[in-house]
Amino acid sequence: MSMIEFREATKRFGSHVVLRPLNLRIETGEVAVIIGPSGSGKSTMLRCINVLETISGGDLRVDDISVLGPSRDVRRIRLEAGMVFQQFNLFPNLTAMQNVMFGPIQARGRTKAEAREIAAALLQKVGLAERMNHYPSQLSGGQQQRVAIARALAVEPKVMLFDEPTSALDPELRQEVLKVMQTLATEGMTMVVVTHEMNFARRVGSRLLFLDGGRLAHDGNPAELLTAPPSERFREFLQHVD
Amino acid sequence: MSFDWSAITAALPELLQGLDVTILIATAGLIGGTVLGVLTAVGLNYGNWLVVAPAQAYVALIRGTPIVVQVMFIYFALPIMLGIRLSATSAAIITLIVNSGAYTAEIVRGALDGVPVGLKEAGLAMGLSFRRVLAYVIAPIAFRRALPAMGNQVVAVVKDTSIFLVIGVGELTRRGQEIMSENFRAVEIWTAVALIYLVVISLLAYSLRVVERKARLP
Repeated sequence: MSMIEFREATKRFGSHVVLRPLNLRIETGEVAVIIGPSGSGKSTMLRCINVLETISGGDLRVDDISVLGPSRDVRRIRLEAGMVFQQFNLFPNLTAMQNVMFGPIQARGRTKAEAREIAAALLQKVGLAERMNHYPSQLSGGQQQRVAIARALAVEPKVMLFDEPTSALDPELRQEVLKVMQTLATEGMTMVVVTHEMNFARRVGSRLLFLDGGRLAHDGNPAELLTAPPSERFREFLQHVD
Repeated sequence: MSFDWSAITAALPELLQGLDVTILIATAGLIGGTVLGVLTAVGLNYGNWLVVAPAQAYVALIRGTPIVVQVMFIYFALPIMLGIRLSATSAAIITLIVNSGAYTAEIVRGALDGVPVGLKEAGLAMGLSFRRVLAYVIAPIAFRRALPAMGNQVVAVVKDTSIFLVIGVGELTRRGQEIMSENFRAVEIWTAVALIYLVVISLLAYSLRVVERKARLP
């Protein structure tokens, strides 16, 4: 059983087709990096996985639960698929610590003491133990994103989804976020990452997916694809990114 | 003419009794209006058309008619239509609840709209039900956004109680009018009435600012 499985999945917004029938399996332990031009459907594809968007046709199963099931199933999927957003989306009225404690308490029904323990360990892991009492507005973008990663991990997901996690960051702040993501990958976390960071794709990704016009154009080993682009379109895209 | 301080001293006990009534009506109206307004706003923002249509009609009806007409309708017309008896104070409280509810609904609707979508998504993405997201993610932010406008609404409701003199509720303004019609000390009585309102509302405005400051995001 695959961790994530698209079966002829499509997504339309009105008459605008964003994802053409998509077939794809992502297995446990994989680090799938999704790249592609803007508007190619990368973010939509990711958002379909934890049902922030609902597919328009076909099926999409996460840990063998269909995204088309009742809301109870949708919540189960979301508990298993942690999401990291481009704009961090930290709760501005809560400290870093409270942000990370939020999921365990509200989504997993943990006690405050348990949640505090989980949050402290995760903030330590992302290197922000000293900042736990800061509010999001008192943290740099890179620090906010690391808190957001800790917040998603605190719900104990089986797979982590990253939606352009470094795109809103200044170049010098990106590395601290990418390093945390790399650590996660090394620990065996299943990850789906939408990004423009080709170095990350090459070094950390176990698989590279090139999306173009809502279609999965290429799917393969990152190093191989990046070294020998199999199509003119892909070659062009790479030139624009670098 | 000379300003007769003794007219004020003599009138003060009765005026303060009127203030009690004003505060009672305003408090009941504000609490009820806030509950009604929040429910209406949640319906407007997240309900289906069966909820949205009546909520919109309610807000349009109240905002499109003067509060004096509303209280006249509730005090004189409604009891006839429903075959009930309504005291003037009850009619005043109902009017304030219904009136303030509509304005509060618009304030809260705007505050809910202003909460970044990303926060809602962050809550949902963790596997929370929408109700929980509303209660624990959206509400705390919307509350802060609504505070300045709600402060204005609180002040408006307190002042609006004065119009209930038209149905004979013994609130502050009505008491002032009654005293004045006996002793004809218009300058003294209306000065006193105005000052009492001013003091009460200034205290209220100050405490609202304190709440706003305490709730401000870091």
